[in-house]
Amino acid sequence: MEALATPKGIIITRSPGDAAGQQWLTVNFGPQHPSTHGVLRLIVDLDGEIIRAAKPVIGYLHTGIEKQMEALRYQQGVVVTDRHDYLSPPINNLAYALAVERLMGVEATPRAQALRVIMCELTRISSHLVYLGTSSLELGALTAFFYCMRERDTILTMNEEISGFRMHTSYIRPGGLMADSTPRWLDMLDQFVTTMPAHIDQYEELLTQNPIWRSRTIGVGILSAADAVEYGGSGPMVRGSGLAWDLRKDEPYSGYEKYDFEVVTEQACDCYARYKVRVREMRESVKILRQALDTLPDGPINVDDRKMLPPPREELDTSMEAVIHHFKLFTEGYSPPAGDVYQAVESARGENGCYIVSDGTHKPRRVKFRSASFNNLQLVERMSVGSMIADLIAIIGTADTVLGDVDR
Amino acid sequence: MSKKKATKSTLEPLTVARGVGAGDDWVTVEVGDLREAMATLKSDGYKAYGFVTCVDHLPAEPRFELIYQVRDMDRKRQMRVRTFLPADQPSAPTVSDIYPPANWDERETFDLFGIDFEGHPDLTRILLPDDWVGHPLRRDYPVGGETVDFSEDHATWQTAPERA
Amino acid sequence: MGENLLITTLGKLVGWGRANSVWPAQFGLACCAIEMMHTVGPNMDIARFGSEALRASPRQADLMIVAGRVAQKMAPVLRTIYDQMPEPKWVISMGACASTGGVFNNYALVQGVDKLVPVDVYIPGCPPRPEDLVNAIMILQEKIKQQGIMPRV
Repeated sequence: MEALATPKGIIITRSPGDAAGQQWLTVNFGPQHPSTHGVLRLIVDLDGEIIRAAKPVIGYLHTGIEKQMEALRYQQGVVVTDRHDYLSPPINNLAYALAVERLMGVEATPRAQALRVIMCELTRISSHLVYLGTSSLELGALTAFFYCMRERDTILTMNEEISGFRMHTSYIRPGGLMADSTPRWLDMLDQFVTTMPAHIDQYEELLTQNPIWRSRTIGVGILSAADAVEYGGSGPMVRGSGLAWDLRKDEPYSGYEKYDFEVVTEQACDCYARYKVRVREMRESVKILRQALDTLPDGPINVDDRKMLPPPREELDTSMEAVIHHFKLFTEGYSPPAGDVYQAVESARGENGCYIVSDGTHKPRRVKFRSASFNNLQLVERMSVGSMIADLIAIIGTADTVLGDVDR
Repeated sequence: MSKKKATKSTLEPLTVARGVGAGDDWVTVEVGDLREAMATLKSDGYKAYGFVTCVDHLPAEPRFELIYQVRDMDRKRQMRVRTFLPADQPSAPTVSDIYPPANWDERETFDLFGIDFEGHPDLTRILLPDDWVGHPLRRDYPVGGETVDFSEDHATWQTAPERA
Repeated sequence: MGENLLITTLGKLVGWGRANSVWPAQFGLACCAIEMMHTVGPNMDIARFGSEALRASPRQADLMIVAGRVAQKMAPVLRTIYDQMPEPKWVISMGACASTGGVFNNYALVQGVDKLVPVDVYIPGCPPRPEDLVNAIMILQEKIKQQGIMPRV
């Protein structure tokens, strides 16, 4: 049972015990728990109902992804990048693909950039739907969960149409994309963009003016903007505290500067503000999708660099160089020049980045994922000390952490 | 791709080397100047935290390279600070009092690479079980798992790689 | 012969009852847990199969769907949760990571949850579709009906 005891290194301050002989109660929260959004363990010190400390213990989903990437070639590695922040796989793919493209010195084609933006915004909506569904499920509003899962199934069906996979698409790859869009996919996207605002209205109808939802989230989990930045937060954690920081606007990538959308902020710094931020971000994502769909440029989806991407199969019949390129790419893979690069993108949770160190061989020397959830999780303790134990559920929900991203 | 020239920064007296790689600004400092460098960056406006990590350059010396990435939200710029540690003494001062989120990142770097951060309040394993032996992300630690017969890497990587 | 007839008829009744009211314990670990959530959602609706109640406490559950990758740190926790479940209990190993270690053949993962607990149904996929999980539950229902009232050895 050693594994379940309090781990070394947890500094828990204990009340020395007052005159009545009262001590704080230490409660173990997880790792198997319905409301921790994955295998998170919190060791919570309670003074009655008030939380005095809430120390996270992580590592229950440590997958060794960074070591695994060192054993895979660059084009194989994209498959593994899907799986650390498993609620937004195309966004992880994009960070990795952009980093490798910067190392190789290529830039994706306009059509690829537009399709990448579409996939990322669809994923942002689907990730916020999981946040909305599970957070409301944990606070007792079960209906919202079923509504959100219905829309998310539509998005996953679109993922499947374009890439063959529902969740871990590996669609965005260094050099371009896996495959071009189909006419059926464009129709599905058009229909989705037309009907989604009405669905978001449905979620708001269920929750925004709901007195129980409001009383459980307003005033809960206060996090000032200065604290959020000082302690490493990003994404809706800082935008819900009034700071307008969004990497899509401030350090645009993949053609985001072409689209007109606003960076959503709220001033109240509590769980309700972050809920409003995420719902409004879904609306902004729908706007971006409509613009991207209407202005989708024609052209190739992959860069025309035979040292990086394989030739079309028809050419293998006629050209010897095509055969050699094909052979080298599929046995050895391409080797970026030695150097390092850090590419950050705005995921649904905040700044998600990929830092790659290349030593000139066909496998990376080091791949590090800067994960938004790893840093946002450190804010949970700051937000919950002093609140009631029931508020801890709302606070974990609002942090919207994905434990695969935290533990990698 | 635009070629940026590395500009002189407020870290100039401490800088051992500077450059621009794939569009990213970086400077190299000595490990003794690390805390001063990070404090200078923070007071210069780089308030937002990126990450702290380590790269193992085995068999080259110096073996370990610590990487610190910070960001300035107002002026929209980033900076990467590098420092090199020898294999026989992989220890560096902590920056977790300057940048609080570095607390967990330094614990992770200790856990996976074995770097000792002096002055860290609580340097224990964070991702692996407490009784784990070894530091997995070092290059001389095998990838592990089950050996896969007839794969190219089978003998060299899965069990005991000495070269990348 | 009369006694055997009683046992088999009773066994069929018990098997029918158990198979159509399997309550899973919530053991979603990683990405497969999201597809498990979709199976609970309106499109696939696991409640049709009697699995309406996904119990948080393993003491009130019959089925452990190991949905996701099992890290070395999580392995003792998984075994403890399994031991807390009362008999009769079954395990579905959902996804490639739970069945064999999946994409991640490295130091950090247990290469297959059957190294820790006995598994009844394996579902391949990364992640498997909700229809795959429904198929696995239907296979498990057949297995439960055949088991009757005999205790598992």
